[in-house]
Amino acid sequence: MARARVRWMPVWWGLTLGLLTLGASTALAQAPTLDGVAIDPDAELVVAMPDDTNNMDPRIGMGSIRSSYIRQVYESMIDVDPQGKPVPGLAVAWKPVGDLVWEFSLRRGVTFHDGEAFTADTVLFNLDRMFRKNLDRWGIKDVTAATAFEKTLPVVTRWEKVNDTTVRIHTSEPVSNLWDAIGREPMVPKDYTIKNGVDALNDRPVGTGPWKMTAWKRGDSMRFERNEMYWGNPPLFKKMRFQVIPEAGARLAALRAGQVGLVDAVPPLDAQVLSRESGIKVVSSVQKLYCRVYLNARPKDAFDSGGKDGLFLDPRVRLALNLAINKDGIIQKIFHGYAIGNASPVSTVSYGYAPQEPYAYDPKRARTILAEAGWKDGGDGVLKKDGEPLTLQLLFPAKHYGQAFDEMTPAVVEMLKAVGVQVVLKPVDFGSLLQTVTKGTLPYNGGYVACRTSNNLDADDFLRDWSALTMVNWAPYSPDLLEAYRATRREVDPGKRLKLLADFQHRVRDWAPVVSLYQEVKVYAMSVRVLRFQPLTELHMDFRGVAIKK
Amino acid sequence: MRRFLLRRLVHSIFVVWGVVTAVFFLVRLTGDPAVFLVDQTATREEIAHTRHLLGLDRPLSTQYLEFLAAVPRGDFGRSIRERRPALSVVLEHFWPATVELALVAAVLATVLAVPLGIVSATHKDHAADHLSRLASLFLQSMPSFWLGLLLILLFAVELQGALPAYGAGTWRHLVLPAITLAAAPLAQNARLVRASMLEVLHNDYVRTARAKGVPEGLVLYRHALRNAAIPFITLSGLSLGFMLSGAIVIETVFSWPGLGRLIVQAVPARDFPVIQAGVFVFALVFIAVNLTVDLLYAVVDPRIRLS
Repeated sequence: MARARVRWMPVWWGLTLGLLTLGASTALAQAPTLDGVAIDPDAELVVAMPDDTNNMDPRIGMGSIRSSYIRQVYESMIDVDPQGKPVPGLAVAWKPVGDLVWEFSLRRGVTFHDGEAFTADTVLFNLDRMFRKNLDRWGIKDVTAATAFEKTLPVVTRWEKVNDTTVRIHTSEPVSNLWDAIGREPMVPKDYTIKNGVDALNDRPVGTGPWKMTAWKRGDSMRFERNEMYWGNPPLFKKMRFQVIPEAGARLAALRAGQVGLVDAVPPLDAQVLSRESGIKVVSSVQKLYCRVYLNARPKDAFDSGGKDGLFLDPRVRLALNLAINKDGIIQKIFHGYAIGNASPVSTVSYGYAPQEPYAYDPKRARTILAEAGWKDGGDGVLKKDGEPLTLQLLFPAKHYGQAFDEMTPAVVEMLKAVGVQVVLKPVDFGSLLQTVTKGTLPYNGGYVACRTSNNLDADDFLRDWSALTMVNWAPYSPDLLEAYRATRREVDPGKRLKLLADFQHRVRDWAPVVSLYQEVKVYAMSVRVLRFQPLTELHMDFRGVAIKK
Repeated sequence: MRRFLLRRLVHSIFVVWGVVTAVFFLVRLTGDPAVFLVDQTATREEIAHTRHLLGLDRPLSTQYLEFLAAVPRGDFGRSIRERRPALSVVLEHFWPATVELALVAAVLATVLAVPLGIVSATHKDHAADHLSRLASLFLQSMPSFWLGLLLILLFAVELQGALPAYGAGTWRHLVLPAITLAAAPLAQNARLVRASMLEVLHNDYVRTARAKGVPEGLVLYRHALRNAAIPFITLSGLSLGFMLSGAIVIETVFSWPGLGRLIVQAVPARDFPVIQAGVFVFALVFIAVNLTVDLLYAVVDPRIRLS
């Protein structure tokens, strides 16, 4: 017996060793990797956000930080790639059919998180909500919405289902950017909304997106779990938490402590320091946030004027003020390179953007142009015309757009003073500024510094600013410019339209409705464990294809 | 005592009515919340439609009467930003986050201030006094924003996550914000206790107690401290009231989901219902704290009669 045991021992050990080796190699083979790096599919990514969202229902509004939350859960028919280009989302294709119809071909087999199918009926229901039609029929209430489609797109006459995966939208005149205006609006489920009411879209959002919202502690955090049924390229980690940390210094401290994996909205000054630290990566992307000085160039019948036209009605004056600003200096000294200059009225990452000749910093030429416009030195360094000084009462929404913006504004004031403009800087809270521009009570010699962004991809979203009398429109297009703008909207042929857009941007650049300052570059900082995160040119972050290193 | 409480109750109803009425009209002078809800390219018609949906296009008197009728039911309307009942939004931030933080900070500020102040007073112009006064000066003059960030850098970053840098939920989350919030009141209280103790320690009854051979601990804590406590209780009550109204700076630095940041965000956004509900809660907090302070006066000093 003893001999037999001795004989069998090596065999036993050999078998055990073999099994262990096999097990280990199988485990190694099964451990997921990305670019040869082992990743953790069960990891949770904590993202430090400067603020919470107020709403999850996209109809209420998608501005600012809200988009980052909403677009994790809800998706639109047209998606966007990291360069800002439109790519298929819930629609696989879109095209004009003649001049007055746009057709969207929908993706098959997409379901909402609760299993409801995404079909043409879903799109029709969403169009009803967007245009405030048939709300009684569906038994849902209206909500306060940032965009009233029935007002911004009154030319949309009806929409129809061709089949389960095709929807057509009819217009009374050609609308070249309809693909963007409709296609970028996130889709909510029809049956779920009818059954649970529109408030459920806020409290318990159900979308088709890569993430399911599992918990929302308002003002504190939102938790997500990966949508295992996602139709596209899924995130390569299981859970995500958006943690609100309002103070930038505290967000960065949490990253350094390893308590968050990614930080949104890193101040430019910190970005430089962080980029030199080990264990941290800094990435950035140009955004659509476009900051400008808006000047009162409205004719007297278009605001509460007291009988005077806006002092900046003459395009030469506005052009001169553009030349008075040292934008490169501002970008380098105040934004540490995390901003760009742009002379086009359209953001550089919008579809249809055409680069324009920069407004060169040339105070001497600015003075010459102002002199040509009748503004001569009054002897005290302030330019005058018919005895009236060239005064700008500049409203400044302090502590709204961030520290760098607050530092930039006084610099702009000094540069304007240097060419003879008497600037009176009036810090106000953002709400008061909105009240003033809404009521039309900006003084005839008034202006304000503000930034404008967009949830859309097309250049039209910027160009329409001066077409109708709205909050941001203090320099309405002249009749010929308005006609040229309408022509860009009517042209549905992409090639011809791009040319029209380029020509139009050139004309608007020379007409200078605003003093262009800078376009924001958004900075993110993250742990080196976060792989393949690419910042977008959009307001939101995209975690599809992102992984966490093991 | 019962008459005192009844009178204070009636008085409180008028105070609350006055406060909510003043706030109702004052916030409406600050502007129109509809402009925050629409896109910047919205036309006047779009803004008017939003105003209509919010019910803000009705006469002010109608809005006020409806508001007054609804307040006793705890109905302050729905938050314009969050689309939920405003009082629920306010109470969610008040309890437990704000109450938890305020109470712990108040306890810290009180429990540490009393011995510090006494030691300082009993060792006047000695090393312990100098050290205590220096520490008080340091804590009082250091901005809470700066102190908070330093504590985060020390405990979360340098000590590699010894304490969390942000958030709420466990006692570990509470430590840094509570210390930061307690710092300034602690210093203030310690200086006040010192000053009050110095005043009473020279009184005849203290000298008499010592002459009778009463142990020093009893002299200090039973005879002197009780007489020195009145201004300290008043100040602590006020501090607690302010802490319960939210500590905006601490909440911002530590991402603490309290009431202060909620109200500060509601004001620029013209979220009328949340502002009104918040001020209502503040008014109740201050009434409760003041009442408690008045009752404590009588407990500490029996010569004070509540009538």
